[in-house]
Amino acid sequence: MNFERFQNQARLFVIGALDAEEISEFEKARRKFGQKAEDFIAKCYTLSEAFALSLKPAKASDQIKARLMEMVRDRKKA
Amino acid sequence: MPELEPGAPTDLELMLGIQAEDPEALAQLYDRYNGIIKALILRVIHNEAEADDLLQEIFMEIWNQAKNFSAQKGKPLGWMVTLARRRAIDGLRKKQAYARAEERLQQETEQQPDAWVHNATEEEIAIGDTRVLIRRVISVLPPAQQQAIELAFFRGMSQREIAANTNTPLGTVKTRLELGLKKIYDGLKELRDEL
Repeated sequence: MNFERFQNQARLFVIGALDAEEISEFEKARRKFGQKAEDFIAKCYTLSEAFALSLKPAKASDQIKARLMEMVRDRKKA
Repeated sequence: MPELEPGAPTDLELMLGIQAEDPEALAQLYDRYNGIIKALILRVIHNEAEADDLLQEIFMEIWNQAKNFSAQKGKPLGWMVTLARRRAIDGLRKKQAYARAEERLQQETEQQPDAWVHNATEEEIAIGDTRVLIRRVISVLPPAQQQAIELAFFRGMSQREIAANTNTPLGTVKTRLELGLKKIYDGLKELRDEL
């Protein structure tokens, strides 16, 4: 796999769209390209961020944060 | 992207705080991103009560898994979105609502093939809101590419599932995803350079 092909696959990888049989080949190329590959994958996560940011924020129930923080405090005590 | 007040901690600083087990850091991260994460969950599971439950579980997982976050592998928001998306799709499948969601999806796509981008008004674009700017980048794509990406990202469908659901050859689905994602990636890069 050349680097251009790897880039195409990396964009699919970060949004979870690589088929199972493509993943092993992708991981092989990832090892081959080393840090260059890791740097590119990190950049590709801007796609996931963008898809989430493209949505209109939704209002969460006010109780969620209170329950969450209570769970966190309980976890810290344990 | 939520605007930060002067002096407010960055996302990375908050993640470091969570790694150091500071509950206040989690509270601030929650305040900053709960709306975006809930919107993402809702887009996947279409159920308000389940979305609230999952939102709480996801932020608890952020707290528990924060040690696995590495700034070298990307930004905190990308990490959180990846985690939230995976949990939402798992939730959808576990609750065996997949078939019903697919049915709803089919109805939605038949009614609004470009639902992702339909409501960006001129006024919103003028405001320069991040969401609208991103949607503008996405809206440049042909509807078939948008649909393939939407099915992969928000429905967790494999390329084969997308092909089966849209009666499209697998090779065409692969091409649509690759071209669409490249265009969005390049568009976002230009957007970052402009801002």
